[in-house]
Amino acid sequence: MRVFGWILTLTFWTLIAAFFHYTLPQKDIVRVTDTENRRIDFGENSIFWASPDVGNDGTRADRDVFFIQTVQANGRPMVYRNEDTGWGWPPYFKFDTSNLQTEAADLKSTSADPQWALITHYGWRNEFYSIFPNAISIRPIDNPDVAKPIPWVNIVILTLFAMVTYAIWVRWRRFRAARIDPAIEEIQDGWEAAGDAVESKRGRIRRWLASWRR
Amino acid sequence: MIALVRLLVVGFVVLSIIYICLSLYSRAVRKRKLMAEWEAEQPPMPRDTFVRVGLEEYDNSLRPKLILGVYVVPTVLIGIIIYLTNFA
Repeated sequence: MRVFGWILTLTFWTLIAAFFHYTLPQKDIVRVTDTENRRIDFGENSIFWASPDVGNDGTRADRDVFFIQTVQANGRPMVYRNEDTGWGWPPYFKFDTSNLQTEAADLKSTSADPQWALITHYGWRNEFYSIFPNAISIRPIDNPDVAKPIPWVNIVILTLFAMVTYAIWVRWRRFRAARIDPAIEEIQDGWEAAGDAVESKRGRIRRWLASWRR
Repeated sequence: MIALVRLLVVGFVVLSIIYICLSLYSRAVRKRKLMAEWEAEQPPMPRDTFVRVGLEEYDNSLRPKLILGVYVVPTVLIGIIIYLTNFA
């Protein structure tokens, strides 16, 4: 039972961590190799895609999506999708997809003459599921070896989340100590008292039976 | 357009729930403080009158209006995010 509880707790916190890892912005240092626009038929991976450009018809099952193909500073490829998040989730309120595509195309370079860029994105790349991180913004940088900026937004959001979680936890513990634990103890006491009563009665009957046997 | 309407409606409902809860809580805290004050100072008027006058004073003060920040802060935050994401 205790193991089951631990597994449940661990699963819960893993899901919370995955949620934040997916949703919060991250920055990559990349070199844009190409940009393209291709049609996607959304399948079982459809929750990992955002929304069509704001104002367009969102009822169709398939649509064209912008992609930004890049190579990271460590030489590995990384492909980003470039979609509006619009007024929906996650709350980036991104409407400038076409502008971002233009900026990315403007930074295209070859490995012989690289132009590095800092790209902000959220989401995951997963080859087995064909999902791509969504690019939020891009800006050119001179040197791929510079340190990435401090992620203040993430620090603030995670700190706030930790504070709220702690506040709820403390109140829950206080509530449990004040209301639930005494109630459970009362029930237990009741059971024990009932048990004792049964025990003493049984003892009496046994004694009465014993008196017959003699 | 539907997405915007959904955001506005859901946002308004959620923020209204928070606003109402905060308002009631804040007023209850003030009421409790007024009662404690009456106990401590024993002013020359009945407790109900003292509390009622104190709560009327509270209703007309700036404090309950500050709770409207529940609506203002997220709206401003969304405005800032829209600017930073699309125009900065």
